[in-house]
Amino acid sequence: MKRTDDTARADRASEPLAMRAANFLGEAIDAVDTLTRRYDDGPRASCAAGDGTRAPSRLVEKRAAKKRERHAKTKVAFLRYGYYDIGFEFFVKHVLDAEFVDLGESTKRTLELGAAASNDFVCAPFKHILGDYIEALEAGADVLVQFTGPCRLGYYGELQESILRDMGYEFEMLNFAEVAGKPLKDYIAVCKKKINPDLSVPQGVAGMLTAFKMIECLDAYNDRYLAVAGFDDEPGASREARERFFAAMRSCKTRRDVEDAFDRGVAELEAIARHKPADALRIGIVGEYFTAVDPRSNLDLERKLLSMGVELARMINVTNRNIHYNEPELRRSVSEYATYDMGPTSTLTIAAAKRYADEGFDGIVHVKSSGCTPEIDCMPVLQRISRDKHIPILFLSYDSQTSDTGLDTRIEAFYDMIAMRKASR
Amino acid sequence: MSTTESTAPARRRAFLGIDTGSISTKGVIIDDELDIIARTYLWTEGDPSRAAERVIDDLEKQIDRDVFDVVAVGTTGSARRLVGAMTGAQMVKNEITAHAVGTTHLHPDVRTILEIGGQDSKIICVEDGVAVDYAMNTLCAAGTGSFLSSQAHRLGVEVEDFGAIALTSKKPANIAARCTVFAESDLVHKIQMGYAREDVIAGLCKAVATNYLNNVGKGKKIEGPVVFQGGVSKNIGVVHFFEEALGCEVTVDADGHLMGAYGAALLAAGTPPEKQSSFAFDIDDFEFKTREVVCRKCPNHCEIVCVYKDDDLIDSWGNRCENGALKAKRR
Repeated sequence: MKRTDDTARADRASEPLAMRAANFLGEAIDAVDTLTRRYDDGPRASCAAGDGTRAPSRLVEKRAAKKRERHAKTKVAFLRYGYYDIGFEFFVKHVLDAEFVDLGESTKRTLELGAAASNDFVCAPFKHILGDYIEALEAGADVLVQFTGPCRLGYYGELQESILRDMGYEFEMLNFAEVAGKPLKDYIAVCKKKINPDLSVPQGVAGMLTAFKMIECLDAYNDRYLAVAGFDDEPGASREARERFFAAMRSCKTRRDVEDAFDRGVAELEAIARHKPADALRIGIVGEYFTAVDPRSNLDLERKLLSMGVELARMINVTNRNIHYNEPELRRSVSEYATYDMGPTSTLTIAAAKRYADEGFDGIVHVKSSGCTPEIDCMPVLQRISRDKHIPILFLSYDSQTSDTGLDTRIEAFYDMIAMRKASR
Repeated sequence: MSTTESTAPARRRAFLGIDTGSISTKGVIIDDELDIIARTYLWTEGDPSRAAERVIDDLEKQIDRDVFDVVAVGTTGSARRLVGAMTGAQMVKNEITAHAVGTTHLHPDVRTILEIGGQDSKIICVEDGVAVDYAMNTLCAAGTGSFLSSQAHRLGVEVEDFGAIALTSKKPANIAARCTVFAESDLVHKIQMGYAREDVIAGLCKAVATNYLNNVGKGKKIEGPVVFQGGVSKNIGVVHFFEEALGCEVTVDADGHLMGAYGAALLAAGTPPEKQSSFAFDIDDFEFKTREVVCRKCPNHCEIVCVYKDDDLIDSWGNRCENGALKAKRR
């Protein structure tokens, strides 16, 4: 295997994949471990004759296609969630072996559709996701997929399904909340039932592991992007590089492809000419799982901040919250502030804020949807961190508003404040 | 922006600051020693561009243009971009920064700035003359100036008299002002119950102060000296209840309501000289129009606001991507 960039590789999460996968889906799927050893296509000792491009020879002739295989593949749609649609797409194509419905960029109409069909008081992510589903159904999706979540998100799937049925749509809902905590075979059974009766378990498990790898690589890349993109000599160069990286990721088929695309992407990102001052302003983003991560939910907060020329960091992402989440360990790092886990992303929010404060960041932005109870619970703790460590925190709360005037005022003022504060020291 | 030919070097440099808020528009001109030499305050009346024109006219009358040459303009407030485009402002700044800059210049020892305006309220914490933390009300305008003036209307009292009436009360009524709608029903209830008008008004003023401290000021350490600004700071009733709740003196500057405009003028004064040019006070001669355009170049359909000076597009904003970028004539 080619090792193009060792430093890039070091950033990537450590082995073994199986443990991370198990962490993601819960203890119920220990069986994955066994399957991984057998089907993980990651690097291992092997020998093969020939150039490796030929398919391995078969001992048994391929059987004739069954009648049911002549049917079109099921069309599967996901919600939009930042850049994770790349991972979703891979999951649909290589794990579920179905057709992926590409929703494209979300628009104002998406949110209007979602908000019109939602209760006004529900958190904003619900409205965004419902809008995505309506657009997906209009685009011809057969199955909608909803993950389970640690807060109200866990109920979203069921509620959204019943709202959409009331609206007259016909579809299947693959709601992982229904099988959460159950053995792996239940996951497989529900996927077979709703999407693809011929689902291949070995291929699915291998694909799942690659999907996790892909998500880790996307997040690791984005971390670097946030740190440097604010200082391009030619504004937007990093953003364009990131788009190319996303396109490369989208075309990956194996774990090897993912790793190579990541290495190339990072190398390209780092080759861009920049003028980053040694004492650049640094802002840490903390907050709620959906709103802090998803650009259309937070009115592209990261882009706005980057355009002001700051270095950003955001610990909350799927890698840190799901794949590598170790809540007790994180909580130990903030034992002076939190004794108990307050649910969803609270510990991560507090731990990230404390880390940014300790690392000498100039400010913290706390992002949540309006009425997000767990994150509201975090706010007094963040205010304590702010007082103890003398770091300003900007609290942003999002609902289904589409005007960014108020947001611009607040972040501009925040930027001015931390810049003047830094200059005066 | 056009340059007058008669820029005599003898003229003293001056700077204009305009703060266009939702309810009122404020303007000041400061001289080269940063003292206010002209000030004005009038209602926006829902037409920020017209309000800016009136402010500029009024300020022009107050200064001798043979002595002072306005060389830079700063705008702030919620219509800062629009007014900035109209006046060719050198500095377009958000109102939080403008308030902090203005206040710390006048009160170098200030630690906390309370500000309640027409639609929003904010708190700015200051250490060593530099803002270190701020908070702003979210989403709702409860307890701001527009709330007080609508309640004044209900009670048939001029909002300017509110403070004086409130101070005559011995037992302020207890009014929940967390939410404008609830406060209104509570108020109606108290009136119908037969509470004295001054007690109801005092209750309202008290509710504004406590609501502010519980919401905007939540979690912030409020240390003296405290300066209170914005239109509501003119209400001596609210000032009284702030002092009562905080247990310290609350300073209200005579020019407190102008602090945003003053800050904008100070920021304009700080712009590099090569960017400065004489302001002609001629915006009356042009017609400024805004037009909302729905961009069809991508599925998002951004609403772009275009500002025209006579028939020339001078600025636009609201688009989210490069497709919708309109080519404005840059100065």
